[in-house]
Amino acid sequence: MKSWNNGFLSWTVFCLLVGCSANRDLIVLLPDPDGRVGAIQVTTKGGSQILDQPGYATQVHDFRQPPTAPQPIEETTITSIFGKALSAQPDPGDRFNSFILLFESDTTELRQESKELLFAIVKTIKNRQAKEIYVVGHTDRVGTELYNAGLSAKRANYVRDWLILSGIKSSSIFVSFHGETKPLVPTEDEVAEPLNRRVEVMVR
Amino acid sequence: MNPKKWKRLLPPLVAIFLMLSIGGRAMADDSSPAIASVQKVSGTATVVRQGQTISAKIGLEIWKNDTLRTGPDGSIGVVFNDDTSLSLGPKSVLVIDEYIFAPREKNFSIILRMLKGTAAYLSGLISKLAPESAHFETPSASIGFRGTKGLVKVEVE
Repeated sequence: MKSWNNGFLSWTVFCLLVGCSANRDLIVLLPDPDGRVGAIQVTTKGGSQILDQPGYATQVHDFRQPPTAPQPIEETTITSIFGKALSAQPDPGDRFNSFILLFESDTTELRQESKELLFAIVKTIKNRQAKEIYVVGHTDRVGTELYNAGLSAKRANYVRDWLILSGIKSSSIFVSFHGETKPLVPTEDEVAEPLNRRVEVMVR
Repeated sequence: MNPKKWKRLLPPLVAIFLMLSIGGRAMADDSSPAIASVQKVSGTATVVRQGQTISAKIGLEIWKNDTLRTGPDGSIGVVFNDDTSLSLGPKSVLVIDEYIFAPREKNFSIILRMLKGTAAYLSGLISKLAPESAHFETPSASIGFRGTKGLVKVEVE
């Protein structure tokens, strides 16, 4: 009873602070089980809002208006609204493993820590008897879009070749590349960002 | 059929049986309509398919165009073929409008239409491989998930 009151109270306070009306959507961003945080984009006829900070929420009161500016939302509020949905979540145990390999600027040369990570990736593939390996290449925004498309493809292919040399079946590897279009860390054009110079590997 | 004929038929029959039983995770599987399966269920939860109401049980296959419904005491958790995970709290209704996971053809799309209730969503490979292809639709908004986890509540008066 106490915890219900607590949740209800924090929800009431939340409503008073940001304003809650009859028909509404509430969208909350959370980190994934690995602790990574992506982004959620909410679009109505009136406009768009991006959530990119975990523990923040946006609301839609009226489909003709843009969604509200992101506001932090308390754990107790989250639990009181979404508790049952959260407890029905499937066990993430069987999910794919995800890795990020980082590259030196304008090359297909891996940074030192990533060279070691590559060994760990091969180990995971063999331990899981993985049937699918997804290799996705990216770059930062230094250079033209066309050039970076090519560079991201080269990076992805470099990792693929390395996996095949390590004994992984080529038919289980799916390669794709996105150039500079899908940064991990959004930047202005021509801004160097080491975290974007990457190949993501998903294993399952 | 005399025993000699049976013996000759046996190896090919065994081979066919083995082929049919090699299931595993569906990827670009045209023969099976299953795109997800129920992993958790509690209270009243049903799947409506082509006008038929099916009681949700662990292991139940989910097909494209299915409607997931939960009662006032119900909840359900499903995992899709690309490891996208979706769970609904009580009094929820969600329709699977589209689901394509075909890595060989580089064809990816997931569109879930939520009419009411609460949901927890964890992006799978579709969101990783084609971030612009994973959407939740509510009566008021379109929600794009880019490789992440989120909660959605849709309240209709």
